[in-house]
Amino acid sequence: MQDPNRKPRRSEGKNNRSLFRRTIFLMAVLGVGIFLPLVAQLYRLQIVEQEEWEERAADQQTQSVSVAAKRGAIYDREGRAMAMSATVYKLILSPKGVYGAVDKEKYKKDGELDEAAYEKALYDLRKLIVDWVSDDLGYDEEALWKKLENTGNAYVELYTELEEEDAEKVREFTSQNRITGLLYLTPSSKRYYPFSSIGSHVLGYMGQTETSGQNKVGKAGIEAGYEDALSGELGRVVTSVNGHRMQMISGYEMYFDAQNGYDVHLTLDERIQAMLEQTLAEGIESYEVQNGAFGIAIDPTTGAVLAMASTPDFDPNDWNSILSDDLQAEIDQVEEEQGDEAADAAWDKAWDRQMRNRALSDAYEPGSVFKPLVVAMALEEGLISLDDHYYCSGSKQFPGLEKPIRCHNRSGHLDQTLTEAVENSCNVALMEIGGKIGAETMWRYFEDYGLKSRTGIDLGGEGKSLFWSKEEFTGPYGATSLAVASFGQTFKITPIQMITAFASVINGGHLLEPYVVQGIADGEGNTVFYHETKEVRQVISESTSDKLRAILESVVANGGGHNAYMSGYRIGGKTGTSEKRDELDNDDVICSFMGFAPVDNPQVLVLVAYDSPKRSAPGSNYTASGTYISGGNIAAPMAGHLIANILDYIGVEKQYSSDELAKADAPMPYVVGQELSVAKGTLQNAGFDCRTVGSGSTVTHQVPAAGVSIPGGSQVVLYLGSDAPEAQVETPDLKGLTPTAAKVKLEEKGLFMRATGVASGDAAITASSQSVNAGTMVSPGTVVEVRFVSTIEYGDQ
Amino acid sequence: MARKAKRDLTVEQQLARGPIDLPFLALVMLLTAIGLIMVLSASYASAMYNLDRGINTEGDPLYYFKRQFGFAVLGVIAMFVISKIDYQHFRWMSVFVLGASIVLMLLVFIPYFGRSGGGALRWVKIGPIRFQPSEIAKVGVIMFFAAGLSKRNSQLGPPKKWSKRTFTGRMAARLDRVGLLELIPYILVLGLVLAIIMMQKHLSGTILVAMGAASVLFASGISLYWFLGGGAALGALLYWIANNTEYMTMRLTIWHDPFSDPRGDGFQPIQAKIAIGSGGLLGVGLGNSRQKYAFLPEEHNDYIFPIICEELGMVGACVIMALFALLIIRGYWLALHARDRFGTLLVVGITSLTAIQTFFNIGVVTGFLPPTGISLPFFSYGGTALAIQLAEMGMILSVSRQIAAPKAE
Repeated sequence: MQDPNRKPRRSEGKNNRSLFRRTIFLMAVLGVGIFLPLVAQLYRLQIVEQEEWEERAADQQTQSVSVAAKRGAIYDREGRAMAMSATVYKLILSPKGVYGAVDKEKYKKDGELDEAAYEKALYDLRKLIVDWVSDDLGYDEEALWKKLENTGNAYVELYTELEEEDAEKVREFTSQNRITGLLYLTPSSKRYYPFSSIGSHVLGYMGQTETSGQNKVGKAGIEAGYEDALSGELGRVVTSVNGHRMQMISGYEMYFDAQNGYDVHLTLDERIQAMLEQTLAEGIESYEVQNGAFGIAIDPTTGAVLAMASTPDFDPNDWNSILSDDLQAEIDQVEEEQGDEAADAAWDKAWDRQMRNRALSDAYEPGSVFKPLVVAMALEEGLISLDDHYYCSGSKQFPGLEKPIRCHNRSGHLDQTLTEAVENSCNVALMEIGGKIGAETMWRYFEDYGLKSRTGIDLGGEGKSLFWSKEEFTGPYGATSLAVASFGQTFKITPIQMITAFASVINGGHLLEPYVVQGIADGEGNTVFYHETKEVRQVISESTSDKLRAILESVVANGGGHNAYMSGYRIGGKTGTSEKRDELDNDDVICSFMGFAPVDNPQVLVLVAYDSPKRSAPGSNYTASGTYISGGNIAAPMAGHLIANILDYIGVEKQYSSDELAKADAPMPYVVGQELSVAKGTLQNAGFDCRTVGSGSTVTHQVPAAGVSIPGGSQVVLYLGSDAPEAQVETPDLKGLTPTAAKVKLEEKGLFMRATGVASGDAAITASSQSVNAGTMVSPGTVVEVRFVSTIEYGDQ
Repeated sequence: MARKAKRDLTVEQQLARGPIDLPFLALVMLLTAIGLIMVLSASYASAMYNLDRGINTEGDPLYYFKRQFGFAVLGVIAMFVISKIDYQHFRWMSVFVLGASIVLMLLVFIPYFGRSGGGALRWVKIGPIRFQPSEIAKVGVIMFFAAGLSKRNSQLGPPKKWSKRTFTGRMAARLDRVGLLELIPYILVLGLVLAIIMMQKHLSGTILVAMGAASVLFASGISLYWFLGGGAALGALLYWIANNTEYMTMRLTIWHDPFSDPRGDGFQPIQAKIAIGSGGLLGVGLGNSRQKYAFLPEEHNDYIFPIICEELGMVGACVIMALFALLIIRGYWLALHARDRFGTLLVVGITSLTAIQTFFNIGVVTGFLPPTGISLPFFSYGGTALAIQLAEMGMILSVSRQIAAPKAE
């Protein structure tokens, strides 16, 4: 039947062979072949690129939360905390959490949502939170409602610095209402400065910078300079999160402990700092100082800064506002007169002023305070001796200058020894000495005194000095520069450079690196850094230094620094009245005094400077209160008092001369019941005078009571017969009286005078202040401390 | 019903009582068991945190696992039941299976039954059971093709005589000679099924049905030219689609560089690669996947394999792929030893389908192939799919019963 010409298209055998072959082919391809590229792909992802993917996985699967490290405290040299961190709390609200806390499922009936009931439940929960937060913490109610409606947000900071007291209330509220996950606290820290503005420029303050983000970092002073040591190291908590960035309940956590910051111990003494600031403030008020003041106190033997202040200053607790009432009043006035914009500019300017540490940053012309340095150079070089005499005619002519350079005493100091020349602060004599030194040598000493370079103090923001170029100074036209430089004018150095160089003059010639950080300690009190005194170089010899100390003591005892004299203390120093030549049309001066004590073993060196005491009239040399405007009349009395206070505080024994000893305090003996003559003898032995009130032979009352210390030589009052002392007496006004007149006036009332300040020189001495204000009612026998200053006009330049 | 004694059975019946292929059964059970464990691990987080918006698990971490386990039990029972059926019955059943799947696929378009998922209408819900009818269509087509094509030898008999006088007669004769004519019924049936699946916008389903059918056609001895031609045409079509439709172009861009849209379309491929890559050689340990915590979408469905790679590492993933490979090779081995052509073609079709599905799934999730939604047999969550898969395995086992035992040597 089959067509013989036609081969069957397929035979069964052939077909089965084909089926077999093709199935084998499929087995090879689908059973083995397809898995090869898949294994290759897995190899690429899991072996070759494994690290890259693992990193991506870790990135998205974990969340790293930083844990704040406790910032170290800043202590003064006596261990008083000047800056410390305390725990405060951030109050966080989660509007998302609040929204999610009301479960829609609960308000479903047969699958249908009961809108009204659900809305009400949500509203009630929100209202509970709003009412409490606004009532108990004072948050703005409307703003809070708005925040709650932003239901996508799970993190709203309501407060950043909630104190423990409020935090406790929050805890109570949230736990009572079971909303601890919706409104909660996270600890954070706040910086406190217990002494407010005291030492603010040294301490600095904390704020946010462009790079710090939410964190606050030190922005000035020690806080900024020792940021790394103080801040410690942030800790981290790494938690696992799921794809919705929610923390995993059973996830792993890793803790990297925060390393608490180190404590910084300053050389600053809060008490001395307060005294210095007080001194500056008093001077500013008394002399109507217009441009603020600055001062530094250091230990001249180590370079440790005991106090450093600049006025106006700020409160680091609240640095973003103007602290000085005067400055604020000025801004208010500008606002009233010129509007907001001008007020803003004035505010900025005032803020810049109050933040500026002039004692560290601003160069000034040191004026006559510089003269001891010049004298020391000349003595050290053997160019002059203590026996030299100088003649001052009132001016000195220099070739090439039209006018001679004048001494501040235009009639001239006439003949003077070297010591007298310094006492007089004689410019002519100093110019002569400068001429002997020569420009080259003086230039070398500028460098040796450290005036050409920064002192290296461990505080940020140290200013730079301003000098002529060396070529100019030592060149043919430098003669006048040399001349004026000899009395400290026409170049500018920073106060810290001045005091450091001055320290080398009185401490045996050692130029020291000043410092404010004595040590750094970890939380357990282990010292990790301790500052050793660093001597930069020996500038002058011990013997030259000895001579200078003697000269400077004489300046206070007999010369232009006499107003700094305090009985019982051997104070040496030098006054300065610096011109501000670079400010044109300005005859303002900086009145300064550099003083140290005790002379034979200086323990404290103080620089106090007042910028621009107000002249009573343009061109006048007196303040409105009648004080001659000079370093000797304005800065010296303030500084002398400050030095005495500091010595008292650090416990330096008073040393009296025999004259002074007679006036030293002694206890009042008990004489009541004695015969008058016997009593008089007892009193005389104790060093007291007496007057009697009433008649009789037996002492019935005495003023003061037995045991009260009153100055020697005081006139005590003995009551005879039936007379008795009055209960209260009125304190008289002593201002302007000589010591004798003041003493008499007080003793008339049965009060006693303890004189401080300038003590000899009589007629030229008047009372400048008294410890008990005039008109105050006090008990008889009270000792009133009266400060006397010399009214001699101590000119210097 | 009491079991009949062997002597009472016909030869056919005796053959159908032969032992099932134990290695194949072991591989199936092993994969099913590992698949269940991995579903438990992968779905645990999603179930506990109720991450799938469409499904309310009520926070029961075992929610998905329980369901999958139930279907696995049903599937295994179905597998044994089906394996007991003499597979010759599948010949006539094929028509009904295919017909039923077509009806069910059309039901999808009736709103009452149809359920959409993943943006496409491809699910049907009858009573409590929700499934993709295209799953049934896959096996239906294979059964139908195997049944039909297995008769090629016996049907040939005397070749049909075409009238040489008429043009149509000459034309038909020529078509018969090149082998097209015998293909026409298959092309029509396949075309109909594919068209319906395409209407469901179910590209991956279309590909799988076509590939399954193609494997049967290939094995049955259809001229290779058809495959070369068809392959070339398909390639050209794909190339054209890839370059001329914005949707596909974008998909391919994402495939090449998922980081071009890391939060959008590139998210899932990136998360999959992170899961795979972070597993490394040995993995993070069973149950310890981090990517399953709301990072990797569909982590217990199509993207379960990356979780396997993450937890068990490359070693674990390769072991599982090896099990698949062994299953597939054993499947073809059974096909080669099947009693008749129908058995061979049926097993080839089902085995090929499983292999292709495995390849596509792993290829897609590892980024070797452009993304398309194909589930991993035995592993991906989806009860009915697993049950149907096991039922298919039951068919292979049924075929295996009639393999003559090797003669003892």
